[in-house]
Amino acid sequence: MATNKDFLECSTDLYNYYGPKPKGDIQSREINKTPSPRVDKARQLYFETKSSASVEFPYWYTRKWQDLEGEVPIIRRAEALKAGFEHLTPAIFPGELLAMGKAHYLRGSYPMPWLSEAFFLAQEDEMYKEIQKAGKVSADEVTTMGQGGGNVTKSSGNVISIAGKFGLRKEEMPMLLKVAKKWHNRSVDDVGHKYEQLVPDYKTKEEIMRAVICMFDSGYTLPQGREVMNYFYPLQYGIEGIINICKEKASDTAGYPGMDRLYFYKAVQTMLEGLQTWINNYAKEARFMASLEETQGQKEEYLEVAERLEWLSKNKARNFHDALQLVWIFHVAVLNEDAISGLSPGRLGQVLYPYWKQDMDNGTLTNEKTIELLECMRMKFTEIDCFASMGVVGGVLSGNTFNNLCVGGLDKDGESAANELEMLIMESAMTCDTPQPTLSLLYDEKLPEDFLLKGIECTKIGTGYPAWVNNRVAMEFLLSNFKKEGMELEEARAWSLGGCLETSPSSWMPLELNGITHYIPGGSAPATSVGVHFISLPKVLEAVLFDGMDMRTGQRVYPPHGFKLDSYEEVWEAFKKYFSITVEVLTLTNNIQHDVWGKISPSIINSMLKPDCLDLGKDISNKGCRYNRTFNVEVCGGVNLVNSLASIKKNVYEENSFSLNDLRSAIDANFGYVSALETGSYSLTEQLKTKDYKEWLKIHKLCFDAPKYGNDDKYVDDLFKEWQIWFNKMCKDYRSLYDEPMYSCQISVSTHAPMGAVTLATPDGRLCGTTFADGSVSAYPGTDKNGPYALFSSATCYNHALSQNSQLNMKIHPSVVKGREGSRKFLEMIKAYLRKGAFHAQFNVVDSRMLKAAQKNPETYRGLMVRVAGFTQYWVELGKQIQDEVIARTEYEEI
Amino acid sequence: MKHYDCKYYLDIDAFRGICKRDKSQINADDSACEHFEKATKCKHCANFSMTETDLGMCMNEYDAYPEMKAITCNDFKWK
Repeated sequence: MATNKDFLECSTDLYNYYGPKPKGDIQSREINKTPSPRVDKARQLYFETKSSASVEFPYWYTRKWQDLEGEVPIIRRAEALKAGFEHLTPAIFPGELLAMGKAHYLRGSYPMPWLSEAFFLAQEDEMYKEIQKAGKVSADEVTTMGQGGGNVTKSSGNVISIAGKFGLRKEEMPMLLKVAKKWHNRSVDDVGHKYEQLVPDYKTKEEIMRAVICMFDSGYTLPQGREVMNYFYPLQYGIEGIINICKEKASDTAGYPGMDRLYFYKAVQTMLEGLQTWINNYAKEARFMASLEETQGQKEEYLEVAERLEWLSKNKARNFHDALQLVWIFHVAVLNEDAISGLSPGRLGQVLYPYWKQDMDNGTLTNEKTIELLECMRMKFTEIDCFASMGVVGGVLSGNTFNNLCVGGLDKDGESAANELEMLIMESAMTCDTPQPTLSLLYDEKLPEDFLLKGIECTKIGTGYPAWVNNRVAMEFLLSNFKKEGMELEEARAWSLGGCLETSPSSWMPLELNGITHYIPGGSAPATSVGVHFISLPKVLEAVLFDGMDMRTGQRVYPPHGFKLDSYEEVWEAFKKYFSITVEVLTLTNNIQHDVWGKISPSIINSMLKPDCLDLGKDISNKGCRYNRTFNVEVCGGVNLVNSLASIKKNVYEENSFSLNDLRSAIDANFGYVSALETGSYSLTEQLKTKDYKEWLKIHKLCFDAPKYGNDDKYVDDLFKEWQIWFNKMCKDYRSLYDEPMYSCQISVSTHAPMGAVTLATPDGRLCGTTFADGSVSAYPGTDKNGPYALFSSATCYNHALSQNSQLNMKIHPSVVKGREGSRKFLEMIKAYLRKGAFHAQFNVVDSRMLKAAQKNPETYRGLMVRVAGFTQYWVELGKQIQDEVIARTEYEEI
Repeated sequence: MKHYDCKYYLDIDAFRGICKRDKSQINADDSACEHFEKATKCKHCANFSMTETDLGMCMNEYDAYPEMKAITCNDFKWK
């Protein structure tokens, strides 16, 4: 095990172990399954495919938008979207049983300049300089993008690299620039920026963004997502049925007060007509492909695809295959109307169960065919790319799109909701182990043991899914936050995860099939994780220690805090002061951005899907959803903050081991080490000493030896609890655009890398530029020395239901959970943690040496996946900052 | 002419694609074979006129570019 002493004086071991070091060769995962031949081929094609962007949709959207100047805004938006959908070039790939995608490329996407036009402009462009001044590209500049897999990191031949990830044909670039410039001063970003400057403390906001204390604005980057889809309306009524509802409602509202309803219904109708053309274009292409096909089986499949699409362009799903295709159509339709990450299918196995049961009962479907279809679905979800800036795609998302599919939980009546289709969903996630959709198991004591053991079998394959999530904690959180909007216990049971770990309100919807009403769960709230997107807690503490300055840039961020810092209590008060300033200004400015988003670029398709928008005639931005209290405050680096506070309290104020000035000097000197930004290694175990390191060794050792979170140590756990209680309470003092109190959200996604990159050394001994601890209750790598149960005690020292989530990542060596006995032991450990009131745990079952080998030879590990923080991603598509952090995590050799 | 300009070219990504006729994987910018047929693109449309390098006009009213796919455009007319 790497100890402080090992690290500080003889840092030779690259790994942190709890228990004995693994012996022998690198150990592979125990379970290794393969997909059906059809999907195996599709996955191989995916592995060889590069992320590609096209200008087709933005071209037609913009052209129509300009045509309709003066039109009612939501109608103008609907017509522009319709034009985009209708002109997308259809592509049917050989062998696919589910058709359609975001764009004509396999991993296709496109920029949405009506949200933000600036980040893909040339850096010499005056417009780019403007946004740089406003601190809007600072996160981009400190982000490292994964260099392998499907990322187009460099321009070559006729392909230009954008945002370090997407390839764009050179011929399309002049039009992209032309279209982008048409949105200058008209995009959500630009219009929002004009008005957010009216917030009194706006200048501080710019400095906060420049210092990367906040990772990014939310209103124009990813304005939707981190929410659960609701597929009820298309399944219940079919597209033509919804159009008829809109026509009827429009006729009922025309000329009556509250005319916005009329425009909303007209906009939905327009959009759906656009979707019909889009679907039929794909059907035509499938027929064209069939006309070229000589192989009989493939020819029939193309014709079946065409027939299914033609049917679904108007009608309800007839069977499981239809229902799955219809769900996918609407999933893509929502993804194409906005820049979205974290659009979760939710409890899809429960939504589709009535169709699956019908087909199984009448003998038209088998388990094998179900698994093949589910594998096809997994490929479709994995092919999704989200087009956004480098800071967002690389720094926050690590290229992931967070389509979380949940299994388990309770039904409307409070009994286990687990079903046989969900068992097959987990099986297909093993046979076709791809990043999307990721799985989460909504753990409840009522779930059957064989279902839980299936979850363990899946976790053991090492993909990091399912994440294990506590059903009861989520329900408590929802009931305490959405009671005012009418949530009762029965409806709380419908919940699911939006995005990686965002607890989202959902509802039971009455789906009728064969004369029986089935209550299916679906999201009934707009985007969560909008509002204040990731505040770097260690960076705020750094500002406290340096009286409001960002020492990296030499710029003043906050006004002087006015404390002498003579006591620990003053440090804590100064921290709370700066943190509160940050939350306040970011809440106000992001409220403005989201308001502008609702006016310029409102959601139409997603609004139509979410209850009760269609009933009320209101879109999401006008509070049409059943539940609207979804703005939150996200933070990152909480464990490093608390470890740092413990070090300051103990070393500076209780034991007087060194002064605060000594600590400042040591931080400024990076404890005598070379900055990680210079070495290009981002974990603590691989840092280079300068010749002066001995000058700082004593202080560094004292910092490192100070109490650390994750060891069941009351000293530091009490500080953690104090922070949690204060943070969760203070969020409620700020009000969202929808005039509801905010709540806390504690996920790191990938932000712990770029935010660590801009942060000096911290008082807990962490070095400059290295990543923070991941998640919210994961220990800092190598500091959890007392085993998993001590970590669980630390993590549950406060009530997790106070926050939208908590997040614990653990890395376990495959040998520990091997065999039936290993599975049982693994399940008991997870149960023990969740029974203590924890919200979430997820696991990398992997030999760290394999990750190191994959870093050296990525080409031989194209399919290797790891769990980062709420998501699973291909190793080769992760930036080095995150790779180093995952390698450095403590590996448990004993549980 | 290049594969990229062919009616039978199915894009996989910005670099390469699949020939819809024989299902082989091909590079977008490699020379086309004897089965080449023009893809429906703006540059082949009677409504399109070039105005500058890589850019043009559609129906003398809208900005357009020659390489744009036009299979879904109702106003497309072969030159």
